[in-house]
Amino acid sequence: MASTADTRDTFPKLLVRNARDFGARPSMRHKDLGVWQSWTWAEVLDIVRAYALGLSRLGVKRGDTVAIVGSNRPKLYWSIVAAQTLGAVPVPVYADAVADELAFVLQHADVRFAAVEDQEQVDKIQSVMDRLPNLEWLVYDEPRGLRDYDHSRLRSMEDVIADGRKALAADPRLGDWLDGEIAATKGSDPSIILYTSGTTGTSKGVVLSGERSITAATDTVKFDHLDENDVALAYLPLAWVGDHYLNFAQGMVAGFCMACPENAETAMADLREIGPTFYFAPPRTLEALLTRVMIRMEDASAIKRKLFHYFIGVARRYGERILNGESVPLTGRILYGIGNLLVYGPLKNVLGFSRVRTAYTAGEAIGPDLFAFYRSIGLNLKQLYGQTEAFLYVTCQPDGAIYSDTVGPAAPHVDIRIADNGEVLFKSPGMFTGYFRDEAKTAEVLTPDGYVKTGDAGFFDDKTGQLKIIDRAKDVGKLKDGTLFAPKYIENKLKFFPNIREAVAYGDGRDFVTVMLNIDLTAVGSWAERNNVAYASYQELAGHPMVYNMLEKNVAEVNRSLAADKMMAGAQIRRFLILHKELDADDGELTRTQKVRRGFVAERYAPLITALYDGSSEADISTEVTFEDGRKGVISARVKIRDMTVVPAAAMEKAA
Amino acid sequence: MDILYKIFIDPFMQMGGAPDLLVQTLWEGLVAGMLYALIALGFVLIFKASGVFNFAQGIMVVFAALTLVGVYDLLRGAGVPSGWLAAYLALAIALGVMGILAFAVERVVLRPLVNQPDIILFMATFGLTYFLIGFGEFVFGGNPKRMIAGELNLPSGAVEFKMAGGFVAMQKIDIAAVLIVSVMVAGLSFFFQRTRIGRALRAVADSHKAALSVGISLEQIWVVVWFAAGIVALTTGIMWGARSEVSFSLQIIALKALPVLILGGFTSIPGAIVGGLIIGIGEKLGEFYWGPLLGSGIESWLAYFIALLFLLFRPQGLFGEKIIERI
Amino acid sequence: MRAPDDSLKTRIGDVLLAVEDVSLAFGGVKAINGVSFDIRQGEIRAIIGPNGAGKTSMLNVINGFYHPQQGRITFKGKTRSRMRPHEAASGGIARTFQNVALFRGMSALDNIMAGRTLKMNVNFFWQMFRRGPAMREEIEHRRFVEEIIDFLKIQDIRRTPVGRLPYGLQKRVELGRALAMEPELLLLDEPMAGMNLEEKEDMSRYILDVNEYYGTTIALIEHDMGVVMDLSDRVVVLDHGEKIADGTPDEVKRNQAVIDAYLGVAH
Repeated sequence: MASTADTRDTFPKLLVRNARDFGARPSMRHKDLGVWQSWTWAEVLDIVRAYALGLSRLGVKRGDTVAIVGSNRPKLYWSIVAAQTLGAVPVPVYADAVADELAFVLQHADVRFAAVEDQEQVDKIQSVMDRLPNLEWLVYDEPRGLRDYDHSRLRSMEDVIADGRKALAADPRLGDWLDGEIAATKGSDPSIILYTSGTTGTSKGVVLSGERSITAATDTVKFDHLDENDVALAYLPLAWVGDHYLNFAQGMVAGFCMACPENAETAMADLREIGPTFYFAPPRTLEALLTRVMIRMEDASAIKRKLFHYFIGVARRYGERILNGESVPLTGRILYGIGNLLVYGPLKNVLGFSRVRTAYTAGEAIGPDLFAFYRSIGLNLKQLYGQTEAFLYVTCQPDGAIYSDTVGPAAPHVDIRIADNGEVLFKSPGMFTGYFRDEAKTAEVLTPDGYVKTGDAGFFDDKTGQLKIIDRAKDVGKLKDGTLFAPKYIENKLKFFPNIREAVAYGDGRDFVTVMLNIDLTAVGSWAERNNVAYASYQELAGHPMVYNMLEKNVAEVNRSLAADKMMAGAQIRRFLILHKELDADDGELTRTQKVRRGFVAERYAPLITALYDGSSEADISTEVTFEDGRKGVISARVKIRDMTVVPAAAMEKAA
Repeated sequence: MDILYKIFIDPFMQMGGAPDLLVQTLWEGLVAGMLYALIALGFVLIFKASGVFNFAQGIMVVFAALTLVGVYDLLRGAGVPSGWLAAYLALAIALGVMGILAFAVERVVLRPLVNQPDIILFMATFGLTYFLIGFGEFVFGGNPKRMIAGELNLPSGAVEFKMAGGFVAMQKIDIAAVLIVSVMVAGLSFFFQRTRIGRALRAVADSHKAALSVGISLEQIWVVVWFAAGIVALTTGIMWGARSEVSFSLQIIALKALPVLILGGFTSIPGAIVGGLIIGIGEKLGEFYWGPLLGSGIESWLAYFIALLFLLFRPQGLFGEKIIERI
Repeated sequence: MRAPDDSLKTRIGDVLLAVEDVSLAFGGVKAINGVSFDIRQGEIRAIIGPNGAGKTSMLNVINGFYHPQQGRITFKGKTRSRMRPHEAASGGIARTFQNVALFRGMSALDNIMAGRTLKMNVNFFWQMFRRGPAMREEIEHRRFVEEIIDFLKIQDIRRTPVGRLPYGLQKRVELGRALAMEPELLLLDEPMAGMNLEEKEDMSRYILDVNEYYGTTIALIEHDMGVVMDLSDRVVVLDHGEKIADGTPDEVKRNQAVIDAYLGVAH
């Protein structure tokens, strides 16, 4: 590991190598004014050298921090390398950060320079200038609207680069000096500081070293067989670890081309034009894409629709098996081939997936149907689990061993341990060196023997040997008999059924697990229409015995899948009820980002919880609600409770 | 039962029994369809740009053909020695005359009537029709004339192909017609899709006031489309005239365009082409296989019958824009 | 929102367009009756008034859609009794319409390209073959149009037929088409009608930017008084086809005749 790292242990050194080895190959593309512009590795090195010199003439020097604020644009990526060239540390900030967050990060990282995208970001920084006394220079990419601004502490990147270029031409010794600077960059020095977006408390600056970053990226580049012929679209936030790892770091290591979309709205169209070979999308994006396809198909002619649904059925039967290299009957292969010609191929083309060899999703649990859909049409979609502190990869699924409910075995050279409380701990090649200026917090997440606490609870699945993430570690509780109880894991399994919109599981410190469910009015409503079930209100539909029967089957299925895991078998759902009203953010039951506030719901529906555990078959509840027009009222209902039978864990194993 | 058999079974038995005859019928339908499409195209061009149904399109065909033949006679009379030279000179002059006509129509008819209701403009094209009849007769006389097909190097005679278990005969002039019409349609499509004038024409078709506001000159567009319609008319006149003769009775072929327009929509160039082919082929098939059932005369209404059948299902025509009533 | 007063004075120049004593009637109905006002170089001039006051008719007179029975129009020093649409367009007057008049079947890009019509000179022959000068010209115009697309942030709908776009975006495309003409005078007929608050803010921003960075003179009709008062340098008020007030937003706001007209006091 050390021998290669000695020579190319920083990104500026890698850039020099790429310019030498892949000089004429594209390094960066960007759609600007409707046309794809492209730069080769040699051109990029040339620009970055001039840029770095220009920055040094503005005063950037070793050890400084440089904020990078904006969306995915070539000049911002080059700002990162240019800063690194001088031994300064880039600090990317999310483009949509509000002024206050921005001020916090810039202040905490003590930046002296900021490279920003456009007027919007300049305005934002200038509005908090009084909190940033050390900020000396702002350089910007997009000049529109900035012409009349006071330029005493403001420069366009174009000018900075031109200035560097002129100086280089005038004095050749500066070129040698730059070579010296690049050679002087050290792999053990901080390469970048990525601020976590901070779902828990204030954000922390994760310091990553060049050596570790490059070692990690080298491992995964090998793992996924990436090389200089690959292309990736950098459309996720530049300040996010995923973009910095998957596109920037892997691109530098493998020498592949990174394409920047025209803007956020055009990303999907740009995807189609670029046809990336490596792709990452969070489950939410994949779901939105699928919904769009489905809506388009509803508008298509009857023949097309029939064809589509028929071949999607074929794909569901054979697609994943073909992708996994399993044996498939000849008729299946032929049908799938025809389907590929008529449906999957064109569909993948529309989505921009035609050339994708490797695609990853991560960040949250992905619905098994959604996951299967993409895999069945031939997209090699895999899951990974990662963290900023790991410089992304902790686990990832190898080709041919893909499951929707696991995140894969440990990534190359990653060491994983499960703590007694179920928390996942890891040690990885790309692991961070600490939180910036926060030793207390660094100590908090490190175990004495140097493992990083992820804060997530999980376990290794017996059948697949892959890691399963079940919940945030702090949310995982225990039943009275000591069985692990992971509410979100159970809730997610329930929510993957289209009929179930929301689920709230209880069990911590109790004898067994119970859940409260919300039906999905659209899905259940259309089921009711098809089956001539009359209902006048949500409440009536939710309480309908046939709806209870239907959901009982879903819950039973969840129990079966829970029984399959030795760890989870004891946490099966014993009793459930369907709530008479939808959980609503206006009533404080959900956060504004639609997450259930479990504690508040428990308090509000205390009579129901009591009934769930005291064995009664129904319970009365009245709750205050806020109507859409802001009026308040009271809803009362008698809610029925269903008992479930528990699947014995051993029986499942025999069956399997 | 017998009549049902004759309508629904027997014709198809015949088709299957003698495929060479079927191919022959289809070919003739294709040729007729191409020519119908060409006439419809003339209407569509003008309707698209100005929203006017040009009643004079039929007479423009006759007028163009008469000009060509008349000028040829004049040239020969004036001593131009070779037939083909005179023919091509006459062709160029006829084109010029269609250009002048387009210019005059814009100046004398359209411009003074800007902003008048469409029905007024429609009536004006009636006037134009009678003017062209009178003017044409005055200059070239009322007698039928022979089209100068040979002098224009259009082929004559027929070729026979052995196919489908028999022989299919094709008139060379028909083959030429299909080729020329195809080239012409391709040229027009290219012109309207790809050039600035084409873009301006589409703009005018979408919104007059928006087109005016960006400085597109309606006058210029009108001259261009009327000239294009004139070229189409001249081509139609040559092709149709070569199959029979050039006379004022030729203008009734404009009536053939109506069902094509109903079918294809008034605003769609592809619609005119596909509509023309459907009517042409449908008509020939109907005449040959179902005609005997009903006696002669089926030709005069069959096209309308086919168009009506389509209308029942697609009121906006094959390619017409979907009409969505906004409330 | 507006820049301070002293910068106003330097920004605003001589009279660009003046209408004098203009009257327009349809049949017996008088739409405009003896109205005079001027528009100065570089200013944002608002025309306001209750419904049926003759505002849109006035814009139509200025860009030559309507021919007044009486009066004179002086544009860039040349006085006419009436304007013709082509003259107006080639003289540098661009406009948008109250209910959006776009080429619905064409893409947003083609719509804006149509705004370049008058800037294209290459002859027809080259046009036919898209070669040589025509190709170069097309690229040059495309570049200009792409700058506008970038400015209005409508890259994602470049290829979408405008008929399928939501109303707010259609308005933006229409503004883009007008800008493609590189106008000296931009007439905006209710640029914010039917928009939500966010869209209105965006549109206001674009109008101000156009005025500031390109120095384009703008005359606009608008119903949203807040917008008018924020954006405009001077306001002319029409009511029943007659001018009842003319001045800065503050002056107009205090004018009794204006208050009466808006409150519907009988004449």
